[in-house]
Amino acid sequence: MALPQQLTLPVDPPSEVETLAESLRAHWPSIMAARVKAQEQLVFLRSELDELIPHSTNMVVFGSLGRYEFTAESDVDWTLLIDAQADTQHLDAALAIERRLEELNVKKPGRERTFGGLTVSHDLLHKIGGEDDTNRNTTQRILLLLESVPLGSDSRAYDGVVNNVLKRYVQEDVEGAGLDSPFKVPRFLQNDIARYWRTVAVDFAYKRRLRARSGWALRTAKLRMSRKLIYAAGLLACYACETDAGSARPHDPDAVLQVVGRLRQLVRQTPLDVVARTVLRYPALLEAGAGLFSAYDGFLALLGEGESRRRLSELRPDEADRDPVYAKVRDLGQRFQDALTRMFFDADTPLRDLNRKYGVF
Amino acid sequence: MALLGFSTGSVARADFRAAVATLRGSATSAIELSALRADELGPLLEAYAELDLSPYRYVSVHAPSAFALSDEPAIARALLPLAHRGIPIVVHPDTIHQHALWRPFGRLLLVENMDPRKPAGRTAAELAGVFAHLPEASLCFDIAHARRYDTSMLEAYRILSCFGGRLAQVHISELDSDCRHRRISPAAIRAYREVSALIPRHVPVIIESDVAAGQVDAELAAARDALGWNRPRRARLDRPGIARRGGASIGTLGRARRNCA
Repeated sequence: MALPQQLTLPVDPPSEVETLAESLRAHWPSIMAARVKAQEQLVFLRSELDELIPHSTNMVVFGSLGRYEFTAESDVDWTLLIDAQADTQHLDAALAIERRLEELNVKKPGRERTFGGLTVSHDLLHKIGGEDDTNRNTTQRILLLLESVPLGSDSRAYDGVVNNVLKRYVQEDVEGAGLDSPFKVPRFLQNDIARYWRTVAVDFAYKRRLRARSGWALRTAKLRMSRKLIYAAGLLACYACETDAGSARPHDPDAVLQVVGRLRQLVRQTPLDVVARTVLRYPALLEAGAGLFSAYDGFLALLGEGESRRRLSELRPDEADRDPVYAKVRDLGQRFQDALTRMFFDADTPLRDLNRKYGVF
Repeated sequence: MALLGFSTGSVARADFRAAVATLRGSATSAIELSALRADELGPLLEAYAELDLSPYRYVSVHAPSAFALSDEPAIARALLPLAHRGIPIVVHPDTIHQHALWRPFGRLLLVENMDPRKPAGRTAAELAGVFAHLPEASLCFDIAHARRYDTSMLEAYRILSCFGGRLAQVHISELDSDCRHRRISPAAIRAYREVSALIPRHVPVIIESDVAAGQVDAELAAARDALGWNRPRRARLDRPGIARRGGASIGTLGRARRNCA
């Protein structure tokens, strides 16, 4: 898609990835290309769709575009996030956006689609836990925090919902559990991120059975790489609440907002930036970080090649052992997992202790 | 004693004389003379010298909130003599188009953060752009506007963290869904308390809630409650020296605590 001439590329997201690449003298062409492509796509979508997005709402994009990992083969998963008075025009606006996306030939998500249509802020904010917190609601909430970008004339609805959701988690830990300081790992949030990850992993097996193994290999690749990356970034954001506390005063009346503000800064970054930021902070992670980014670069290269992606979409489990594309997926997944294991369990950093304390039990 | 009072507009809309009369005898030490519509400014300026403002230790004037671009020089010229007398002037950032007209007000120009309907000046990032053009200007922090923008109060926290050094006055009320000023509810009190520690006690507070004469005392009590004035404060926030009527001691704190652009 051509980039409109009159528009300039946004400067966001602030990139820790580039800093890490420079620091390691590494070259991750697919990661960098995907970031540029995501920025171009966001500029294009904003130019085409902003006028359709009502005040007090935001169109929010998720998935590879939300992570700034957009490739030629990527689709666009989105929702119209409502944080306003009820208005019959909200559905009309969502339908108009859908029609415009079709006219623009923007690729739709397949059956994996998590979003689409309308999302109302109240369910995301007030149904954290309990019977009404469906898989869909949990997934939307966590992805809103960890891989989303708002579109619209401003980002007020999106910012308000994300800020309130984060505050809900932090406040619950402090006021509900009687913590003496909010400058600790936010367990409520961390447990919800862990729940999301486990749900994705369990649903993977469920979908494999339900869909007669159709699309199994592509889902496997995403589970091993991009879904796992989100989980890792979520954990690192939670751990940073404790490791970044510095000289924070735990009894400041505004301590909760300090932590919410810190978390907001972190989740505003892409998952890869959150990981890169951690690697840059702890030199003991540099080697593992290099391995992780190299594997992820290979993953994005694979997803960006139409032929490989199609092969993964069509591959049956009984063909996997002798398929060269799937062999690559397996290798990349193993290298990615090895790097995460070194980062979280082996390297001598505070992450290891935090992981012992919070990671499992 | 803390500086707390009402905007004349909250008590009697455009009738500032009636508002001054209504507030006489109330437990207020501050007042904001409101000329929200451009045609209210002339009468207010003409009457200013005759108004009995002796009960107040802090007086400010709210500039019109909407006017034609061509009227901006005349309005700035009309208000500047008040600033020369040490009277702080509260302005909405979306009304400022010619920054050079307003720079002579220096620290006595109080830029107010806006509600979500406005196109500018709503967030810390947007205010940073305004202060870049008006480096000497101070902040009138409207806590209700900030809450209406972001009910989590994180944006309010950001504005106060970024521009606490510029803080010269606070507006307090509650906004309804149409952004009209209403009386402060218990929910708003709870929200405002989350950031009240960032508001030094010497900063004048002006109530903008729409109140009848019989509701003045109750609204004063609600404002004190929301600001945490009924509780002991941390010493780090109790800094002396802020605007007195006719004085020019606004903004004696550091001008900017961090880059919020």
